[in-house]
Amino acid sequence: MVEALTQAQRYPFLTGDGRRLLEWLHESEFAPRYNHHCGPRLTAQGLGRVRAFEAEVRGSPPRWAPGSPPGWVAEFAAFCLREVPFYRRYGAGPRDFAGLPACRRANLGREPWAFVPDGQPLDDLIVYSTSGTTGHPLSVLSHPETAASYLPLLRAALARHGVTLAGGAGQVACLLICFQQSTFTYATVSPYLDFAGFAKINLNPADWRGPDDAARFIDACRPEIFTGDPLSFDALARLPLTSRPKALISTAMALLPGLQGSLSARFGCPVLDTYSLNEAGLVGVARPSGGFALLQPRLYVEILDDDDRPCAPGVRGEITLTGGCNPFLPLLRYRTGDFARLVYDQGEPCLADLEGRPPTTFTTATGLTLNNVDVSVALRDFALPCYTLHQAADGALTLRLPADWAGRDQVRATLLRLFGAGQALTIQALPPGAPSGKVVQYTRDDAAN
Amino acid sequence: MEAGPQLEVLTRRLAECPPDFLAEPRRGGAGVVQVAAVVADLLADWSAPALTPAQAAAFQAAASQAKVNWLRLVLLACWLWHDPWFVRRAPSAQAALTCLSKDLAGLAKLVPAPQCVLDPDRREELARLCLKGLGLHPEGETPAQAQDRLNALDSVERQRVIEAARSAEARSRAVREAMAAKAAQEAADKWSRE
Repeated sequence: MVEALTQAQRYPFLTGDGRRLLEWLHESEFAPRYNHHCGPRLTAQGLGRVRAFEAEVRGSPPRWAPGSPPGWVAEFAAFCLREVPFYRRYGAGPRDFAGLPACRRANLGREPWAFVPDGQPLDDLIVYSTSGTTGHPLSVLSHPETAASYLPLLRAALARHGVTLAGGAGQVACLLICFQQSTFTYATVSPYLDFAGFAKINLNPADWRGPDDAARFIDACRPEIFTGDPLSFDALARLPLTSRPKALISTAMALLPGLQGSLSARFGCPVLDTYSLNEAGLVGVARPSGGFALLQPRLYVEILDDDDRPCAPGVRGEITLTGGCNPFLPLLRYRTGDFARLVYDQGEPCLADLEGRPPTTFTTATGLTLNNVDVSVALRDFALPCYTLHQAADGALTLRLPADWAGRDQVRATLLRLFGAGQALTIQALPPGAPSGKVVQYTRDDAAN
Repeated sequence: MEAGPQLEVLTRRLAECPPDFLAEPRRGGAGVVQVAAVVADLLADWSAPALTPAQAAAFQAAASQAKVNWLRLVLLACWLWHDPWFVRRAPSAQAALTCLSKDLAGLAKLVPAPQCVLDPDRREELARLCLKGLGLHPEGETPAQAQDRLNALDSVERQRVIEAARSAEARSRAVREAMAAKAAQEAADKWSRE
């Protein structure tokens, strides 16, 4: 049971236009059966700080030379070592930044309170829980201004693709599309976007009063953008929508180019793949020219090897973060569990070959070793919203696809070309209900390694 | 930092401290020892300039028990520094006065002065503090070894660590309680999946 806030707590200040739009989002004829209430909890002073953050996002994009952390990192690391209980255990004394130990999701999962700086007031603490499909369930401590800071980053991501998220009174700025058995759904308005509307909706028919209501509601909203994951966008594309968004923002799962292309054609707009995680928010956006651009001005990204040593530019390793904009979770060499290469394009650090899960090797029927990237490349032209591939100890492969996906035979043929004609391959349906977080896409039994 | 006398010489000297140096400091009509006079005698033996009136006033006993304990530690330090090794070398009087007013003031809040005679660890702590205050380390030790050993004995540092640990535990409990309360409360909107 969630303890509800009062309207005044959700909206410390609210305009008449904002109130009317909020009422419309809740009471319009085709609105979904929302099961939750939620608001930005942003004060006027907090809004001022978010606008200042936007200016920083625009004016100070992340830049550094290979192996040279930006100037703020040394001071930030000193703050963490002095003020944050978890990092204080590393001990005192002068240290080279690259010599600091890395921490990981398991550390955060065990004691999230140990990452809160000593002087951080607890009044505005909010707690997000993640389902932990990639490993450890997690409680992420956060702040309303951190949640609101997502929007300047979203704007920066869109600007990379020539799209402007305008917001404005009476306008629905964004719909977050879900397609799963159940999830929190709610509608709200954003003071940052002049009280433009936002709603998180679930395309599961059980969430709507009539069979056509989802499409009617979305068309009535005419949102500027949609956010969601590939699976929910695949469901969205099947609705008879007439509204034309400015962009789709894909998060949470790998977006394959095939689906990206079909979604872009369906909606007549760019489909942006983003790299985002609960611990750090929106980190990067795929660039039209390739690779992921980094968005946060105070988030230093390293690629580390297994021994916490920085990899050379272009060498694949684990994405590791320092900084961020969450006062309850200052990240100091935080291993994300995601893998990529860090490359520099005209001085701009970018993530290349991003895979949101540990790399997995597979063995072909003839004994060759394949990287999971090889599988991604082989399947990239299929409009697959989601899939998993597992190799058992005896080498047999199990590919799981959405139950209603029609191109099974073509996928089988592609995988057999990659693994060899003699490869044992079973294709199964993904379990009912969409996954609610990152999917562990490639796995294998240890004995097969 | 230079080498001083052997540590054992100093701890033995403390253990053999005459009762006069353990007597009650004079305050008002009570007490026996004029601490300012004892400090003045030490400086004279070191051929150092005499105490100014303001410096001497600092060694007048006041009513608080902590101040009295500090004055007792001052007497013990003066006894220690009367050792011939120091008298022959006449160390810096200013350094000695700083050590008395700062280092011993911290110790006085935590350790009763008689312990610095009766307890071997506290004897060693006082001896090391008095050496360090003059920029010296025990003969036969490196400066780093001397600092490590003093850190291990340091009552002030130990108390700081205990209080820091207590404070950290209280803070950790407060954050956990806030987490439990806020986890049951609706959060703030999020505009995408992560």
